Amino acid sequence: MASSQHVLLSPAELAYLHASLSLTPPIRPDGRSPTQFRPLVAETGILPGTNGSARICFADGTEAIVGVKAEVERTRTRHDFPSLDLDEGAEDDDDLDDNQRDVVKGDNDWVEMTVEIPGYRDDDAGTVFLSAMLSEALLADGEFTKRLWINRRFHWKLYLDILLISPPLSYPLPLLSLTTHLALLATRLPRLKSEGDEDPLFDDDWAAAPYLYPRPTGKKGSKKAASAPTARPPVTLLVMAVGNNIIFDPSKEELAVADVALAVSVGESSSSSSTTSTSSSKPTAMDLDTEETKGHNLRLLSVRTIDPPSRLTPPGIPNASNSAYGANAGAKDTEKKKQQQEQARTAESEAVEGVWKAPRGGAKPLVMAALVQKVLEKGGVADEVLDALDGVDLN
Amino acid sequence: MPITILPPKAFRDQPPRRNLNHDSDDVMSDATSDSEDSDSQPGGVSLDGGVTIHPRKRRSAAAASSTFTKRPKTNVTSSVPRSAIVTPGERITTDPQWMRGHGTYLSSASLGEQAITSSLAGIVTRTNKLLSVRPLRARYTPEVGDLVVGRIVEVQAKRWRVDVGSTQLAALPLSAINLPGGILRKRTETDELQIRTFFAEGDLVVAEVQQLFQDGGAVLHTRSLKYGKLRNGVFMAVSGTGGGGGVVRSRRQVWTLEAANNGGPIDVILGVNGYVWISKHVEPVVPEEAKGQTGITNLEEVVSATMYSSQNDRIEPETMREIARIRGVVTALVENGLRVDEDMVTKGYNEAVELALVSADGPEDVYLGGERGEQLAAALTAV
Repeated sequence: MASSQHVLLSPAELAYLHASLSLTPPIRPDGRSPTQFRPLVAETGILPGTNGSARICFADGTEAIVGVKAEVERTRTRHDFPSLDLDEGAEDDDDLDDNQRDVVKGDNDWVEMTVEIPGYRDDDAGTVFLSAMLSEALLADGEFTKRLWINRRFHWKLYLDILLISPPLSYPLPLLSLTTHLALLATRLPRLKSEGDEDPLFDDDWAAAPYLYPRPTGKKGSKKAASAPTARPPVTLLVMAVGNNIIFDPSKEELAVADVALAVSVGESSSSSSTTSTSSSKPTAMDLDTEETKGHNLRLLSVRTIDPPSRLTPPGIPNASNSAYGANAGAKDTEKKKQQQEQARTAESEAVEGVWKAPRGGAKPLVMAALVQKVLEKGGVADEVLDALDGVDLN
Repeated sequence: MPITILPPKAFRDQPPRRNLNHDSDDVMSDATSDSEDSDSQPGGVSLDGGVTIHPRKRRSAAAASSTFTKRPKTNVTSSVPRSAIVTPGERITTDPQWMRGHGTYLSSASLGEQAITSSLAGIVTRTNKLLSVRPLRARYTPEVGDLVVGRIVEVQAKRWRVDVGSTQLAALPLSAINLPGGILRKRTETDELQIRTFFAEGDLVVAEVQQLFQDGGAVLHTRSLKYGKLRNGVFMAVSGTGGGGGVVRSRRQVWTLEAANNGGPIDVILGVNGYVWISKHVEPVVPEEAKGQTGITNLEEVVSATMYSSQNDRIEPETMREIARIRGVVTALVENGLRVDEDMVTKGYNEAVELALVSADGPEDVYLGGERGEQLAAALTAV
């Protein structure tokens, strides 16, 4: 599956890029350090008709908008097991007060995510893959949908519309993920006035509307204690490896020479839930709870390998077997041609310096582990990205 | 710090051509206030007796009715706002005193009245009585003699199709290239069969526009030792920047720059189409047997021998670093709406080397994005 778009680069360019990214330290074409992201401009609350929205714009002009809309939906009761939900609720009732009879539970159907990339159909494999990755990260820990629970009969249905406004100049996953993150942080749902299982009634006052993700330092609407660490929406980071170098937020050209590319989804959870929650069924998505220090309480939510376009690139032709090169060009006699063909055969199997050769074979497990480790490092990139996202003014 | 997140800028401080998105409201209100305040507003007495209605006002009117309504046709501006953004099909003026310039056309408004209408999304500019619309973003329009950098996207039987950032693909006929070894002969079927050995899909070429078709399509040629396949460097596209930014036609589009920090000589090719190639400068290697002989034809043979190679030479890390720095300079120039030419790139590069000296990471720091790019641009415009 073509999970990342094909880029047309000449073998000479690919060879140069690969050589410069394999140096220690790597020299990226735009001069960034390996862990550095492209500078971006971010704002929230740009769409007045939504519950939460955000816009992120990279300096190169790639730009994404995310709008989050919520509507109240009646929770479907299972007709084949009519009493299942009630039974479970009743069991819990034994332990809990009458007021707390609500067992908060969520359903993945409560979130609907659409991704739109200009120039691509919405059922294009790449678009579907992007949306699957983003929603997978969001739903992985099952904590998110619990926030949408109103009472046993009603829930919020959340529509996330993710729009890439510019043509995809680079693989848009990190951009879309960061924008979605900000939009969800800025999302507010009207304050519930009704109680229990009655039809929900909401407060008209938008200023009183609590945030979907309550914030510790929030001025208004934060219900939780000020010091409690709060959960936050996940962030999906694109990491790639060239040789021994690990590079974050690759541009299109850099991705085109990647040996391995991974989309790593990282979430932060409140310390209480992190131990009890179970991760999704994916074997790679193990809980790697890092010890709690001053940093973020990072959790690995999901890992996906991105098929780097480098595998589809045509190989360069070494001068030795290039019939349009130098002395070979005039070669007319069959003797010379035969010699050339033999040289070409050896050149195909061996790497020649300065000639591009597409990476072959799968990713090495050690490299993959190193990539994930690098993301989750204490005080590492994911930590700092989350810190920086905290700094964005939410309104 | 791996990530810098900046708040959105107020577009007021910036030149109008950078209004690529969304915050155009500000500009429009600027334009409104400008034209209202100033007495120098063009147009004199409006002939149809109407009030000048600027986009901002129409917008708010539309917003007031709380539905998105089409602009009423009666709202024809009889005078011309100073620098408002217009969209294709938007009427600029019906006043007959204006002449139409680039980016506009005449359309019949009502009862034989001619209206100057924009055919582009851009900013209205006036030169005396000439009205033209400067596009926000524009594709390259080829002209004969332009030096362009292009990418082969299609290989056909007798020609290549080359992406030069224009509205159409340019054509590079097989007959318009130099054969390796400088051989002069008619192109045969054998050449046609092995057309991919010269240029294949994805290859970058530097070429010259030889001829133009009626529809604006270009025909290229590489029949010079200066032209041919590109290697040993990086490519970047800064095309599409309308209104003064980006690469401009200048005296020299190709030059060699002596890089700092032991970078050695570096070639910079600024294609007029906004495609830029920055590479290590390589002196042609003269083979041993040809050393004794001299002459122009011999040199031609030697140079064109490496013309179709796709194998990079050995490039030192120092050179790569300086190449990345030059690329950063060009990016910074474009992002800050400055023109890209030899003078600016050289100045910018020297400035960037100085900036790196005072940066925390020392001269090896080649990053010029974000704030540093702005710093660089500020230093360049201050001179």
